[in-house]
Amino acid sequence: MKHCPTCNRTFDDTKAFCGLDGTRLIQDAPTPSVEQQYNPPAAHAAPVAPIMPAAPPAPPATPRVEQPRAAQVSAADPLERLRCEWCQAMNEKTALSCRACGAPLDIKNLVSESGWREAPRIKDMTEIHFGASTCQVEGEIVPVAELNLAQGDSVFFEHHVMLWKDDRTPMGVMPLQGGIKRALAGMPFIISLAYGPGRIAFSRDATGELVVMPLHPGMELDVREHAFLLASHHISYSYVRIKGLRNILFGGQGMFMDRFVTGAQPGLLLLHGYGDVFERVLQPGESIMIEPGAFLYKDASVTMNVETQKLTTGFFGGTGMNLARMTGPGRVGIQSMYVHHHTD
Amino acid sequence: MTFGGTAPNQPTRTHTCPWCGLASDGTQLNCPACGATIDVEQVVSNSGWTELPGRRDMAKLQFGNSHCQIEGTYVPVADFNLSPADGVYFSHHVLLWKEPQVNIAAMSLKGAWKRLFAGLPLIMTQAVGPGHIAFSMDAAGEVIALPLQPGQGVDVREHIFMVATLNITYDWFSTNVWFTTRSGDETETHYPLGAFMDRFYAPQSPGLLLLHAAGNVFTRHLTQGQTILVKPTALLFKDPSVQMQLHFEHPNGTTRSWRSWGERYLWLRLFGPGRVAVQSAYAHMHDNGRNITRHSTATRQQW
Repeated sequence: MKHCPTCNRTFDDTKAFCGLDGTRLIQDAPTPSVEQQYNPPAAHAAPVAPIMPAAPPAPPATPRVEQPRAAQVSAADPLERLRCEWCQAMNEKTALSCRACGAPLDIKNLVSESGWREAPRIKDMTEIHFGASTCQVEGEIVPVAELNLAQGDSVFFEHHVMLWKDDRTPMGVMPLQGGIKRALAGMPFIISLAYGPGRIAFSRDATGELVVMPLHPGMELDVREHAFLLASHHISYSYVRIKGLRNILFGGQGMFMDRFVTGAQPGLLLLHGYGDVFERVLQPGESIMIEPGAFLYKDASVTMNVETQKLTTGFFGGTGMNLARMTGPGRVGIQSMYVHHHTD
Repeated sequence: MTFGGTAPNQPTRTHTCPWCGLASDGTQLNCPACGATIDVEQVVSNSGWTELPGRRDMAKLQFGNSHCQIEGTYVPVADFNLSPADGVYFSHHVLLWKEPQVNIAAMSLKGAWKRLFAGLPLIMTQAVGPGHIAFSMDAAGEVIALPLQPGQGVDVREHIFMVATLNITYDWFSTNVWFTTRSGDETETHYPLGAFMDRFYAPQSPGLLLLHAAGNVFTRHLTQGQTILVKPTALLFKDPSVQMQLHFEHPNGTTRSWRSWGERYLWLRLFGPGRVAVQSAYAHMHDNGRNITRHSTATRQQW
């Protein structure tokens, strides 16, 4: 088999060029599995305790064909690997985009002077691999995530983000605890499931970015409600109540946040951010003030507290401005368009 | 126009930014004052509209001892690194994030009652360095950097303004573009452009003004007496020398009445000389189709 180093699509050996973007195809090399090669940076590896019972532990020796060969290649030439700076997964040296998150590997990391890193803009038609399935990101202004689910894989999502599906792709509903609380809090009452084999596609109804968050074992991520597009079945899904009346009333995101936790296996989590998405890693004790509506995700180790600043001017009394103080350690993600834009 | 390229051994080569007019040595990829790309030529339509110059992600703009970095492409963020002596003012709803040590305070404005009733921001907020503070608006579009030279001013339609440096003065004036409709005893006054416009002026020292436009931005220079019709809600900004008034147009085949939207088009007529700018994504203009009883100075065309 051959594959395109730009969009990661696979082709048979008779093809020389990618039919999509014209890139010369390269012979498939043994690819190390993401979970084996991942070496989490200190800021991402905050010790966390899953709040939900983790999925039953998977067999330690995943029967993936690539593993033995990958280990040989890695031992023979450890330098011939490209580390994705977004998700830390290792890729073969000829790859132009990361197999695990789709981030371009041939484009310089965009980090502002103040330390915000722009989420990688995934090239049109890039394929992302998770488990035995693939996800192709299509479009750039309102991107679509099209999944080709393999037998045994599944994803869960809020039903309103579903764009289309094969008629024979099986569907189900995830059993959730606290249904009444969720309904009262305006959170999705039902989380849908789609099983492989089959194809299904998702998109949100606004200009923005797909943020691919491969969650490595032991990670715990809090996400603004309704911002998650889909997650693979390896990830446990729950919700956490936002503490503090001020945070609930002025935090701009209601009473609950979604919480995603990985157990022993890595998983794929796709978020949708309005506008552009930026991430910053806060050191222990470091804090930043953000507009509450701009919050997109954070590591569970990051604390959030809403603070009000009174702005007064003479007779009119003024107004109060609420800002969320995020304190590290951990990652914080924000979106630049934080109010849904109505054209009328 | 000379493109300086990136050769550091040719300091004498100069580049004049076609957008803001700043002369630089051309060794950078972007104009240091407005962020316009240096190595890409201006895009001008056949009809004479110039597209806002491209801007690379993370482009840096210099003002005073501070600078501003424009981040992102869909809904760009203006990330200011303020030095101790510099400051900016803004409407508080555009604030995205700030470092805790950056102090913000209210800036009082004159005519608070009028502003309140006109829907303009009652409070303008100011932030003083040192530290980082960032702004964004809630629509996909472009950030427009307008460096104002001493003595230069610009009129901006309401709710377009994003942030300005403290050495730029802020004022507002009545647009005097209106019409009234009547249905029975009910009379309604309409302001297609808004009741007021913002005016920014750099009296003594150069300053930086940032606007946000929805969609794409196009500008053109009108010569003395030249006129053009634009959709009122598409207007972004204009030079103070550009005059404006209403224009009603009736398409052929309709009765000569003011009774319905389908029988009349509402335009804003702009008179040169000066620069005007429009945005491609504009708010829907609602016309209730009722009889127009009075209006500000206007022209009319029946086809």
